[in-house]
Amino acid sequence: MAGNANTSNLLMVSGERLTGESVRHQNVVAAASIANIVKTSLGPVGLDKMLVDDVGDVTITNDGATILKLLEVEHPAAKILVELAQLQDEEVGDGTTSVVLVAAELLKNAEELMSLKIHPTTIISGYRLACREAVKFINERLVISVDDLARDNIVNAAKTSMSSKIIGCDAELFAAMAVDAAMAVRVADGKGGHRYPIKAVNVLKAHGGSTRDSVLINGYALNCTVGSVQMPKKITNAKIACLDFSLQKSKMKLGVQLVIETPEQLELMRARESDLTKERVQKIMASGANVILTTGSIDDLCMKYFVEAGAMAVRRCKKIDLKRIAKATGGQFVVSMTNLEGEESFDASLLGQAECVAQERISDDELIVIRGPKARSAASIVLRGANDFYCDEMERSVHDALCVVKRVLEGRQLVPGGGAVEVALNIYLENYATSLASREQMAIAEFARALLCVPKQLAVNAAQDSTELLAQLRARHNASQVKKDCAAYKWFGLDLQEGKVRDNKEAGVLEPAVSKIKSLKFATEAAITILRIDDQIKLTPEAPPSHGGH
Amino acid sequence: MSGGTPVIVLNQNTKREQGRKVQLTNIQSAKTVADVIRTCLGPQAMLKMLMDPMGGIVMTNDGNAILREITVQHPAAKSMIEIARTQDEEVGDGTTSVIILAGEILAVSTAFLEQSIHPTIIITAYRQALEDMLEMASSRYSVDVDTNDTDKMHELIRTCLGTRVHTQWNQVACRIALDAVRTVHKERGSDGQAQEIDIKRYARIEKIPGGSIEDSCVLDGIMINKDVVHPQMRRRIANPRIVLLDCDLEYKKGESQTNVEIRQEEDFTRLLQLEEEYIKTVCQAVLAVKPDLVITEKGVSDLAQHYLVKAGVSVLRRLRRTDQWRVARAIGATICRNPKACTIVLRGPSKDILNEMDRSLNDALNVARNIVLKPKLCPGGGAFEMAIAHAVSEKGKALTTVHQGPYRALAAALEVIPRTLIQNCGANVIRTLTALRAKHAGTEPEDWMWGVDGETGKLRHMKADGIWEPLSVKNQVLKTATETAILLLRIDDIVSGTKKGGVEGAAAAAKAAANEAAQPAAGGDE
Repeated sequence: MAGNANTSNLLMVSGERLTGESVRHQNVVAAASIANIVKTSLGPVGLDKMLVDDVGDVTITNDGATILKLLEVEHPAAKILVELAQLQDEEVGDGTTSVVLVAAELLKNAEELMSLKIHPTTIISGYRLACREAVKFINERLVISVDDLARDNIVNAAKTSMSSKIIGCDAELFAAMAVDAAMAVRVADGKGGHRYPIKAVNVLKAHGGSTRDSVLINGYALNCTVGSVQMPKKITNAKIACLDFSLQKSKMKLGVQLVIETPEQLELMRARESDLTKERVQKIMASGANVILTTGSIDDLCMKYFVEAGAMAVRRCKKIDLKRIAKATGGQFVVSMTNLEGEESFDASLLGQAECVAQERISDDELIVIRGPKARSAASIVLRGANDFYCDEMERSVHDALCVVKRVLEGRQLVPGGGAVEVALNIYLENYATSLASREQMAIAEFARALLCVPKQLAVNAAQDSTELLAQLRARHNASQVKKDCAAYKWFGLDLQEGKVRDNKEAGVLEPAVSKIKSLKFATEAAITILRIDDQIKLTPEAPPSHGGH
Repeated sequence: MSGGTPVIVLNQNTKREQGRKVQLTNIQSAKTVADVIRTCLGPQAMLKMLMDPMGGIVMTNDGNAILREITVQHPAAKSMIEIARTQDEEVGDGTTSVIILAGEILAVSTAFLEQSIHPTIIITAYRQALEDMLEMASSRYSVDVDTNDTDKMHELIRTCLGTRVHTQWNQVACRIALDAVRTVHKERGSDGQAQEIDIKRYARIEKIPGGSIEDSCVLDGIMINKDVVHPQMRRRIANPRIVLLDCDLEYKKGESQTNVEIRQEEDFTRLLQLEEEYIKTVCQAVLAVKPDLVITEKGVSDLAQHYLVKAGVSVLRRLRRTDQWRVARAIGATICRNPKACTIVLRGPSKDILNEMDRSLNDALNVARNIVLKPKLCPGGGAFEMAIAHAVSEKGKALTTVHQGPYRALAAALEVIPRTLIQNCGANVIRTLTALRAKHAGTEPEDWMWGVDGETGKLRHMKADGIWEPLSVKNQVLKTATETAILLLRIDDIVSGTKKGGVEGAAAAAKAAANEAAQPAAGGDE
C-alpha cells in the first residue's frame, strides 16, 4: 500500500513516511487550502482579513503575502506556497494573492491528470512549455509600451494595484502620490535609462485626521525632533553628519584598570573623560557640520557644545533612515571616527549636503525634514488614518503601489488587467495545445484551464455570474485571436462593479507586464517543485535532553 | 484510505471565522462598545466608576478615559477603542460621540449586509457621503467666529463643558482655559510656519487638594511645586535674575569605575579637598553672572548650597525638564512681564474630584485651542448632525445607483447623536426627534440651527441660545467614525492565534514547548 506509515519502521529513524499517490494528494489538498484562505481577498471587491496573534494584537490586511506570513502554516507543501507569495512580494511587490491562486490551481489540475495515469514528469514538461509559450505570447501580443503612454497610464497602473485595498476609494489621490514620489527619487543608471529606488521613499504613519489628509513631502522626513529646544529649528545650506555612535562621556572598557599615584591624577582622569568627547565634537564641528544626526544618544554636555555652535543635533534616529540620508545627501554613514592610523579624525568629505533642514509640524507631529539633498532627491509620504491598524494597512498598500509604479517606469510595459491576460492566454494555449502532437498536449490544456481561476475568482468575489462573464470574455478573446478585424478585443477584461466585460485598456485598468510574467513563472516553478515530490519523510522531533539528570 | 486522513495545513491552535458571521460579530462587538458609553453623552450624562485591578478608582464620563480602562477581547472592539484615543489626541474632545457614531454606522450597515449588498458598494457609498458631509459642513453648516471676543469665547467653551461634573466650576474653567491658551499662543507667521499652541508643553496644571473649586486660577507665569533648598534663602524676589542649569552642583564621579586605595591620611584629605574645590569653582562660575535665583534640573550638594546662601542666591533643585522649558520660555524676553507660558492651579475638596477637574479642564483647553486655530463653529445639541443628516439624505435622493441606500443610511446614522441626547435626558425620543426633523425640513434660513436641549429634552434654537461647538471636532468625529466603519466592514475573515513576528515567535514557542517537556522530567528526578 502506497501510503503506509509503517514503512518507516524499516528505516532506522523514528518518523513518518508517505509515498506516491497519497503524498501527492496531501500536497494538493494543502495547496488548495492555502489558496482558499487568500482567495476572497483578490480583486477590487475582495475583502480584508483580520489576523489576531496569540497576545491579541490585530492586523487587518488585504495583502496575500502579509496574510500568509502571519499564518502559522505547518504543512511543508503549503509552506512552499507561503514562500512563493513572499518571493513575489520581494521581487515584484504586488500580485501576491493571484500567484498563490494560480499555483494551487495548477496543482489541482495536475492531480486530475495524474489520476489518468499521466506521469508527473510529462505534466512538468508540459507546464514548462506552456509557461514559456505564455510569456512569449504576452511579450509579443499583449503589452502596451509605456512610451506611447502618458502619465495617466502610470497613475492608472498604481490605481489598479490599490483598487483592492482599503484606500481603493481614494486611489486617485494615492496613485498620484505614489507616482510623484517615485519620480522624485529617480536616478539615472548611467546607460540613458533611469532607476527608481523606491526604498528612498520614506513612509511615515500618524493616526488621526482622515485618509485624505495624507501628504507627500518633498524631502526626507525623519520622525525625530531636535535634541534640545534651544537648537535652531531651521538650517539652510546644511552640512549633515550621519553618525552611528553615541556622543557621551567616554567610559573605560570593563576590566581595564588604571593605577594612579596621587589624588590629583584622579581629577585629571575625570577631565580626560569629558575632554575625549569634547575633542570628538570639536573635530566634527571643525569639519563644518551644522546638522548632526546620530543613532545613539547625545549627553547634556555635548548637547551644550552643539547649542553654542548653533548646530542642530538629533539623537536616536533609525539606522536605516540615516543610511538613506547619507546616500541622498552624498555623505557617508560614519560608524567610527578612528582612521587607519588609529587616530580620531573627521573629514569634511564625510558630510552630506542639503539645501535646508528644518523641524516642521506636519499634521500633528514634529518631523525633521531634509529638503533638496545634494546627491539625489528624496520623498516622504505621511499617512493618516483612523487608527493604527488602518495606517498599517495603508502603508502596505502604498508600498505595493510604489512597487508597481517602479515596475512600470523601469519595465516600460503594461498589460491590461481585470483577467484580460489570463483569458487571452487561456485561448491561445488551448489552440496551441491542439497543434501539438505529443503527450504534453493535455498538460498544456490543463495549464490553460488553470489560468482561468483568476478571472473566475474575481467574478465570484464580486458576486457576479462567473460562468457567463467568462464565456463572454473568452468569446471576445477568441475573436481577437482568430479574426483580423477584431484585434481590439484583446484588451477586454472584467468590469466588476457593473458585472460586464469592457475594454480595460480604455478604462485604465493596467498592470505592469513584468509583474504578470514573473508571477506566471513563479507560480509554474512552485507547482513543479511540489509536483516532483513523491516521498515525504517527516521525522518526529528529537526529544529535548532532560534536565536535572546526573 | 489516503483520502480519508485529514491534512493538517495550519497550526491547530488557530481559530478561524469567515464570511457573514464575521461581519455580523464585528458589528455586534462594535455596538457593544458603543453601548457602554452611550449614557455619557450630553449634559445629563452619568459618570462611570471604574475600578482597576489595583483597586484604584477612576470616576469619569470622558469616553476615552472609560475605554482606556476597559479590557476587551474582541479584535473589532479593540479597534473601536483605538479610535477614541485617536480622537482624543487629535482634537481632545468628542470621544464619546465618535464611538457612538461609529457603532451606529455599523449598525445601519447590518441591514445592507443582510440584503446581500456587497461591502465594497457600502464602503464606496460611505466614502462619498463622508466627502459630501465634510464639504457641506464647512461651506453651509458652520459660522465664523471672532477669537478676540472674550465673552463669546467663554460661552463656547462653557457649552463643551456642559456635560462635566461641576456646573459651578464651568465659569472658572472657561476663564482659565481661555486665558491659558491665549498666554501660550504663539504667532509664527514670519518664517512661514503655522501658529502653534502647545498646551502640553507650556501650560501646566498643578493640583493642590484643599480650598474650594472657585479658588482655581491661572498664574501669570510659572508655578513650580518646589521649595527653596535652604531655609535661609530668600523666598520672594522682585525682578530676579535667573540662571537655569541643566547640570548638577555636586561633585561628579567619573564614568569609569574608580577604586581608591589610600595609603596616607593626607591623601584622603586631599581627595575630599579636591571635591570641595571642584564645587567651589562651579559655584563661582555661577555666581559670576550675579543671579538671584538658580534653578537646576539635578541635585545641589550641601556645600554648594552653603556657597550660594552666602551669596544671597535662592536655589530650586530637581526640576522636571518640561518645567525648565516653560521657565525658559516664560522669562526669555522681558522679565516676567509678558509671559508665554503659564501654570494653572486647581483647588478642590478631594483628589478624585481634582482628577476629574483636570480631565475636563483639558477638554476645555483643547476646545479653546481648536477654536483659536480654526475659528469655525457649528451649532451643538445635535443640530449640526441633524442638519447634515437632512442635507445628505436629500442629496442622496438624486443618486441613481445602488449606492443610494447606504449613502442615505449614513445620513440616518448621524441622527444617533440627537437621539442619544434625548434618551439621556429622559424625554420622549420619537416625538422629539420627529419634531426636530420637521424643524430641519423648514425653509427658513436658520432652521438648521434647531437642536435638542440636553437638560430638558425640548427643542431649542442653538444660535439664539449660543450653544456652539468647534467645527474641527465635528469634522474629526465624522472622519474617524466613518473610516473605522469602513475598516471593519471590509473584513470577512478572522484568524486568531497566529504567531507574532515570524522567527522569534516560532523560536519562543519552541522554547516554551521545550521547557514544558523538561519540567516533568525534572520533577520526576526529585
